[in-house]
Amino acid sequence: MNGRAGFTALVTIALATAIAFLTLPVLAIFLDSRPGALVSSLGEESAREALWLSLRTTALALAIILAVGTPAAYLLATRSFPGRALLLTLVELPLVLPPAVAGIALLAAVGPSGILGGALDALHIRLALETAGVVVALTFVASPFYLRQAQAAFASVDRTLLDASRTLGASEARTFLRVMIPSALPGLAAGAALALGRALGEFGATLMFAGSFQGITQTVPLAIYDRFATDFDAALALSGVLVAVSLGILVSVKLVLGAEALDGAAR
Amino acid sequence: MNDALRKCSARFEDADVRLSFAGSDELAAQIRQGIEPDVYAAANTALPEALRKEALLGKPVRFASNKLVVALPAGSRIGSIRDLARKGVTLAIGSASVPIGAYTRKALSRLPHRMSGAILANVRSNEPDVKGVVGKLTQGAVDAGFVYESDVQAARGPLRSLPLPPKLQPAVVYAAGVVKGAREPERARRYLNGLLAGGCRDALTAAGFGPPR
Amino acid sequence: MLRASARSRIGALELDASLEVAEGECLALAGPSGAGKTSVLRVVAGLLRPERGLVSCGDRIWLDTETGRDVPPEGRRCGYLFQEYALFPHLSAWQNVAYALGKGRRDDRRREACELLERFGLEQLADARPRTLSGGERQRVALARALARRPDVLLLDEPLSALDARTRASSSRELAAVLRQAQAPALLVTHDFAEAAQLGDRVAILDAGRVVQEGTPSELASVPGSAFVADFTGAVVLTGVARAGEDGLTVVDLGGGESIVSTDPGLGAVGASVHPWEITIERGGPGGVHGSALNRLAAEVTSVTQIGNRVRLGLAGAQPLAAEVTRASASGLGLSEGARVTATWKAAATRLVSL
Repeated sequence: MNGRAGFTALVTIALATAIAFLTLPVLAIFLDSRPGALVSSLGEESAREALWLSLRTTALALAIILAVGTPAAYLLATRSFPGRALLLTLVELPLVLPPAVAGIALLAAVGPSGILGGALDALHIRLALETAGVVVALTFVASPFYLRQAQAAFASVDRTLLDASRTLGASEARTFLRVMIPSALPGLAAGAALALGRALGEFGATLMFAGSFQGITQTVPLAIYDRFATDFDAALALSGVLVAVSLGILVSVKLVLGAEALDGAAR
Repeated sequence: MNDALRKCSARFEDADVRLSFAGSDELAAQIRQGIEPDVYAAANTALPEALRKEALLGKPVRFASNKLVVALPAGSRIGSIRDLARKGVTLAIGSASVPIGAYTRKALSRLPHRMSGAILANVRSNEPDVKGVVGKLTQGAVDAGFVYESDVQAARGPLRSLPLPPKLQPAVVYAAGVVKGAREPERARRYLNGLLAGGCRDALTAAGFGPPR
Repeated sequence: MLRASARSRIGALELDASLEVAEGECLALAGPSGAGKTSVLRVVAGLLRPERGLVSCGDRIWLDTETGRDVPPEGRRCGYLFQEYALFPHLSAWQNVAYALGKGRRDDRRREACELLERFGLEQLADARPRTLSGGERQRVALARALARRPDVLLLDEPLSALDARTRASSSRELAAVLRQAQAPALLVTHDFAEAAQLGDRVAILDAGRVVQEGTPSELASVPGSAFVADFTGAVVLTGVARAGEDGLTVVDLGGGESIVSTDPGLGAVGASVHPWEITIERGGPGGVHGSALNRLAAEVTSVTQIGNRVRLGLAGAQPLAAEVTRASASGLGLSEGARVTATWKAAATRLVSL
């Protein structure tokens, strides 16, 4: 009995430590700043512009990731073809790249002096120092988070459900929309949430590739960095705003999905 | 400066020197938050002075100077400051909250109002440190940028500098001091002296930094 | 008329099977696990493309590897009942059933789906999610869903195997009724010969990808073509009407004045099964000396099949029977075609199943 109580105590302490370690820094943001600071910081034009820019670019990046990543993950999950394992590793690669390396990679590929730089220039497509460049950077670093989860979610859907759908008269496309996606939805949503979080917090690659200019390329993380040395309180306030927005998005996603699960369980 | 100091500090006989590099403002912020290195060196005199007033730093000593220049990619057709005000020219400068950005804006403020306005309107990026400005230049993302002369030298090739007319040139002075609460104040003091007249002084000169003014 | 033939290598299995099922008929495909039964169903449904094959339903050709014609599953009207039912968890019962009803106003589709559910007594559960339903209820929803499309062919994969013993009996009855009502040819797959015998008009035994014998259940049981079929077909099933008898036993009237007894409870229409090797053969009529075996039926030997050191006897009595004796006993008793014998077995060896 003593051993059992000891084990329980140990794992409880571990959990308590983990929770404290993870939540204290986040709480400190709010505890360290003056109460009105969060709201008043939103009154600053640069803060508002940074927030609006972050939200627009993240939303656009996420839209691209979902639109292109969902069918791609479906193909990866449901078909076997030579080189599939290699392809899976390749799409996961940006996951393990440090943001700085991601920035270098983007510059080398689509930067002004990059491999495709000349071609983009000829097409009058400017990415560096433009909002479009921010979207490119966010999409690059965040898409593996979604692809990985989506691929796993699709792969774990019961194949007989798909077979059943086909025998009931639904084409492959209709089966994808009416059975595959609803069945994989929790996994897809988790992947999207991860990608969203990563994009919202992206800093290094964005700075190197797109630069930092208020309203055009200075997202919230860049704005925080710009402030923290000279006006720590302003940095705290903006950090608090970002945490609040991220939390809001996370909670609403959980509520929408949770409502689904709750609805089924109650019956 | 990083490379020069790294090399000469390795030769400092009195102690093992651990160098931590970052933007001057960032390092000052760290000291304000309670982090205590033995020596703090900044790219201006304002930050060390401010820390001294806050009783966080001993009396600062000026140990080097630098020049603000306009850096251009090798094949650039820009020939003068006036060219920077032309429509379609893109620039990268430091953010207002970092020394390089402050120096740049100070220099521009000495120009006629319309010209400085036009130049600032051409700015496409406010970088958090001078490395970022240099990076945008070497990448070919902008046509010109305001950096230190020593940075052009450090880039070793791809950039050339356009010197500023003397009346625009701000005084870029580096100052350093012993941090209050340092664990090795004596050795720190000796290190500072080395910056003024010793192995490190020579290294700084070789790297393109002027004498303290 | 459903015609299907397939030759293909599927993993370690060499499938080479060919079958025909007429309108209104149910062919039960029986065999051990891994024999390829589900593969045959999948080929017919279009979920599996064999290397060589031909599938046609009436005058419509669904698969012809010679010409390259391969109609996708959604183009073949198959009502497929999957082994684990494959109900869509994110849809309610009526939505599952209505899935095949295509476009159309929601109210119309719901009404049609509920009508179908009503046939199976499930109208109360129309809005329930599959996970809240019992195994038997889910099976019926899956069946309703398969029928919703008014299929040209019915495909059933082990329809009773996922049910508990008690539900299995009532479900079997229900399924038999559905099969009788349906005009479409039905192909049913099972690993249990008794199930095949109960639900199929004909039975085809599949072993290692090949059909080893095909015929009515009693044909297969009485004249097995091989030791494999003999072992697989196991018990004999007699049908009759059960009523309570003396000493707590159940009497089953087989028709024609004959009856047997069983220690199992039972009432009404039942199937009485006994294993051939539990049947003892005596020469002569039932009037001879009695042992403890209460069941005694007169029969005439219709076939004698040697299987190793055993002999399977096909017997014609009030109903067809099959008995297994040693070769020595068979020759010792002079058992040959036409011989009049008495088949005896214990009441305790007689299993009753409600029909």
